[in-house]
Amino acid sequence: MSQTYYLPQSNEVELFQAAAQMNLPVLIKGPTGCGKTRFIESMGEKLGRDVYTVVCHDDLSAADLVGRHLISEEGTYWQDGPLTKAVRNGGICYIDEIIEARKDTTVVLHSLADYRRVLPIDRTGEVIEAHPDFMLVVSYNPGYQNVLKGMKPSTKQRFISLSFTYPKPDIEKEVIIQESGVDEEIAQKLVDIASEIRQLSDIDIQEAVSTRLLIYAAKLMVRGFDPYQACMHSIVESLSDEEDVLAVLEKLITLHFAKSSHV
Amino acid sequence: MLHYWLEFEESMGKVWDRYLNKKVHKFHEDARVDFEDLSKNLHIFHRLMGGEKAKELRITDKRYVETTRTLLEKISFLGKEFFLTWQDEESLYLPASFAYFATKEQNEMLYYWLVALGAQVKDVTNDNVVAKNLEAVAYLVKRYHGFEIFYKEATLYLMQKYPQLEFLKSLEDSSNEELIENYPNPLWIYPPAITPKAANNTDDAQEPLREEGKEKSEELHMKKQAEQIDDKHETDGFLAFLPESLMSIFEQVNVDRCEDDSFDEDALYHAEDLDEITIGQKQANLSSRIKMDLELLPDNTIIYPLGKGHYVDEWDYQKNDYLVNYARILPQVTLNVVPIELPQRLRKTVKKIQGELDMLKLDRIKNDRLPYGDELNMDSWIEYLSHQNKSMHHQNFYVTYEKKTRDMATLLLADISLSTEGGITQEMRIIDVIKDSLMVFSEALEKLEDKFAIYTFSSLQNKKVYFNIIKNFKDKYDALIRGRIDSIKPQYYTRMGAAIREATKILDKQQSTNKLLLIISDGKPNDEDRYDGRYGIEDTKKALQEIKKKGITPFCITIDLDAKEYLSYLFGRNGYAIVRDGEKLPKVLTEVYINLTK
Repeated sequence: MSQTYYLPQSNEVELFQAAAQMNLPVLIKGPTGCGKTRFIESMGEKLGRDVYTVVCHDDLSAADLVGRHLISEEGTYWQDGPLTKAVRNGGICYIDEIIEARKDTTVVLHSLADYRRVLPIDRTGEVIEAHPDFMLVVSYNPGYQNVLKGMKPSTKQRFISLSFTYPKPDIEKEVIIQESGVDEEIAQKLVDIASEIRQLSDIDIQEAVSTRLLIYAAKLMVRGFDPYQACMHSIVESLSDEEDVLAVLEKLITLHFAKSSHV
Repeated sequence: MLHYWLEFEESMGKVWDRYLNKKVHKFHEDARVDFEDLSKNLHIFHRLMGGEKAKELRITDKRYVETTRTLLEKISFLGKEFFLTWQDEESLYLPASFAYFATKEQNEMLYYWLVALGAQVKDVTNDNVVAKNLEAVAYLVKRYHGFEIFYKEATLYLMQKYPQLEFLKSLEDSSNEELIENYPNPLWIYPPAITPKAANNTDDAQEPLREEGKEKSEELHMKKQAEQIDDKHETDGFLAFLPESLMSIFEQVNVDRCEDDSFDEDALYHAEDLDEITIGQKQANLSSRIKMDLELLPDNTIIYPLGKGHYVDEWDYQKNDYLVNYARILPQVTLNVVPIELPQRLRKTVKKIQGELDMLKLDRIKNDRLPYGDELNMDSWIEYLSHQNKSMHHQNFYVTYEKKTRDMATLLLADISLSTEGGITQEMRIIDVIKDSLMVFSEALEKLEDKFAIYTFSSLQNKKVYFNIIKNFKDKYDALIRGRIDSIKPQYYTRMGAAIREATKILDKQQSTNKLLLIISDGKPNDEDRYDGRYGIEDTKKALQEIKKKGITPFCITIDLDAKEYLSYLFGRNGYAIVRDGEKLPKVLTEVYINLTK
């Protein structure tokens, strides 16, 4: 099996490995599409641990993490949730976008995220001691934080924090080339476009273009799409719905890649 | 007969004029592109290109450049005035329209090109125009394929049309600067007509320093070129003008601006005629204060009293009793207000605040474990089934989502006393932030569909407490209300207690369950009489106690630099917030709202 491709931005790999050895939970924050999930996957492979991913949402309940009773022909039985599975068997439990969940839901993590490393399940009365290979990782996007959403300080202060941003231009270029197989010149153009668009974040667009979108654009080009078209569909249209912003972004793309005649 | 002859002459004149224009100007009128239409996009593009985010894009006036002209150009008086693109610390100034090229796309592209160039070229002066421009051009052409094509095409085309631009060809080997100054290149960025340094040099030490000189007439769409002519010393100004053309009687009007509010009608008349208004520097007060408000509409607003007024009580802490019917409230409304759109500078803030409030709106409450409801909660049902003795448990499996409604009435009460004239920064007065707050809050409250009203107050002792209606609870929030907010002018003093009592009366009549009085002020109650100091503070405190008794929540947004001690005394620790600039407004408002709706 081929290894998941991940190009480190700085010391995050060493930090993560150290945290894994010392049984410390890790918090990762960063904008969308900057490689958070990819990083966890590659670390899981490196450490030889399974990754159990839970993506949080508004209605996520503690039962979705811990587990619940289900019904079968014989009656009800207990089904472990992803968190419980990881706690029992060892592995990385990756809780993505944790601020999307309501603050009281994530309180179940507290006893796992400190020295106790136990998970009490009140419905069955069980208290599970965490497997030595169990590791808790949570992530969120600080851009989406607002007054209503956010982590309780008591939750936040149980983690080692890693802050991700978009990769530096040369690293980002390398990532685009590796992921899509596009040539260097085009990758450089895409990185240039990204650095320009990122000037607009918070003012005209909510969040800047992600590395993921750049890779999509590059992939479309490798498939034979005209570069202008590829950028329009993967980068421009997904960033804004406002006409004037779209018009300017389109202009930017035409400056880098000539508009094809049949458009 | 004469009539016909005149008409004939006129039409002939027009034909001649058109001929000349075509022949000399070589403009493509049908492909003309206006800055106004592109302005919004260009602003975004400027940021996209890495231009300083606070920089404005404006329209420039023409400037005179002595060039080599053809005979036809001379006959038609053309080829002497140019609309050049230039920039200073605050803005990038672009021509109002372009028609150099045959297609609209290319003329549009010229704007984009200049904006991109403007973002690249920094600190251009008369000495380094060529070098700086060439450097930036090289960068843009290398980085952007689209610009490369455009620049090549445009340069070729322009050189062909204006042979004077031929010098561009020879730039690579030797830069013959005289040639370059001879004819301006529309594709370049030029320095300001007078460089900041030169402008400062002409200031005399004994000239009165005017702090307000920084005020900008933002309303002006066009930057009228106010050229400072150094008529004290016989030295040259910007090398590109022809001194004799500037100093002719026709073009120089010494605008009398000793009194700011007096309009010199003659000067005004001439100002309309002249392309450039030249301001002689001999008048001391003009040194740094070139406030070109000649195009501003005169203020036609009238303050119209509503009724003869009515009385409210006041608290005398020394007597420890109320002075019954002591302060006279005079309700007023401003008429002849010009409706306005939301100012550009506030749009970002409003957008941000609306985004945050959207989240508030979506905040639903989940009511779980109900005997009936919208949805079945599988979890509770299974939990019920998994219990040994089911019959002992309630059969409450339903969930209902309730949209949180804030049955809310908010009254915004703004202090417009003279103390708000004070500055927070050099450019920003307290009253400006108050006006901005009113607009931003109105937009937000409108978005939330909450009921709200806006009043302002000022006072002259207890006999006259002016209570201006900007918007009552029934008025619809629209451009007229924004116009009223914009027309607010600071006046008199701050008899806060009386204004709060009046606002209480209005809020008390509202049916909503939650009522909020949002006071926006520089925080200090005072008046000409003894209302200054302790008396005023005690009265305001009393008025705030009264309002709380009625179940209305007061909250004060204080716009000031330092937190004053009496604030927490007046409003309580959590009853006020201090705002220093407009940026903080969204945060404060959402915080206030969340605290109140919890």
